[in-house]
Amino acid sequence: MHEYLDGEISPEHEQILQDHLAICSDCKQDLHELEKTIALVQSMSHIKASDDFTLKVMQNLPREKKRVGIKR
Amino acid sequence: MEEFVKSRIKQVLKGDHNAFGEIVEVYKDRIYQLCYRMLGNAHEAEDTSQEAFIRAYVNIDRFNINRKFSTWLYRIATNLCIDRIRKKKPDYFLDAEVKGTDGLNLYSQVQSKEMTPDEKVAKMELQELIQMEILNLPEKYRSAIVLKYIEELSLKEISEVLDLPIGTVKTRIHRGREVLRKQLRNI
Repeated sequence: MHEYLDGEISPEHEQILQDHLAICSDCKQDLHELEKTIALVQSMSHIKASDDFTLKVMQNLPREKKRVGIKR
Repeated sequence: MEEFVKSRIKQVLKGDHNAFGEIVEVYKDRIYQLCYRMLGNAHEAEDTSQEAFIRAYVNIDRFNINRKFSTWLYRIATNLCIDRIRKKKPDYFLDAEVKGTDGLNLYSQVQSKEMTPDEKVAKMELQELIQMEILNLPEKYRSAIVLKYIEELSLKEISEVLDLPIGTVKTRIHRGREVLRKQLRNI
């Protein structure tokens, strides 16, 4: 089942899985729940860094140390 | 994109301080998002992602230009998040369930002191609920799940970021998925 969800299942294994799912409702339910879980995690909205993020990074870079480093 | 970033890295190495700002612009949202999903707190996420870029700058001469820059940056940021998660555990165990609240932890309590756990669950939006369950994952599963499903990295990239064999990465994703399945099955 995890091979299937990782997108790495071989055709033979997929056939075995499909045959099993056709007769086993517990596994079918598990797979459904796992697929739903993945979809839920992927549905999390994308969050963005603050507008002044880059400015703050640039202000906090250690200038002195870098100058020494560049000479080498 | 990698080519653009590599040309900027070469500029930084030549002493062009400002070229680093262009690199930050490219990756800031992804790195901030990683830290936010790992730590669950905007202030800590800001702090940690800022530090990740500063460390990348300070150590830029150690970056192997033949490798993928984003992988290296993700690695710095992920390690900082994991350090922070480990450090805060002895003080106040935010991930720990609060007794008698059935799955709620201190994160949810900190967010809304005035609501009872039941009210909280009722009001909690789906996104918050998923975020809380991600935060409840042990840190080794959490990093694998966030890199895979939120940052959408390949298994190979995740194995480089976490410095683990692909087999171990898969195991962590599988276990993380199972834990989340049990927590999220009823919604």
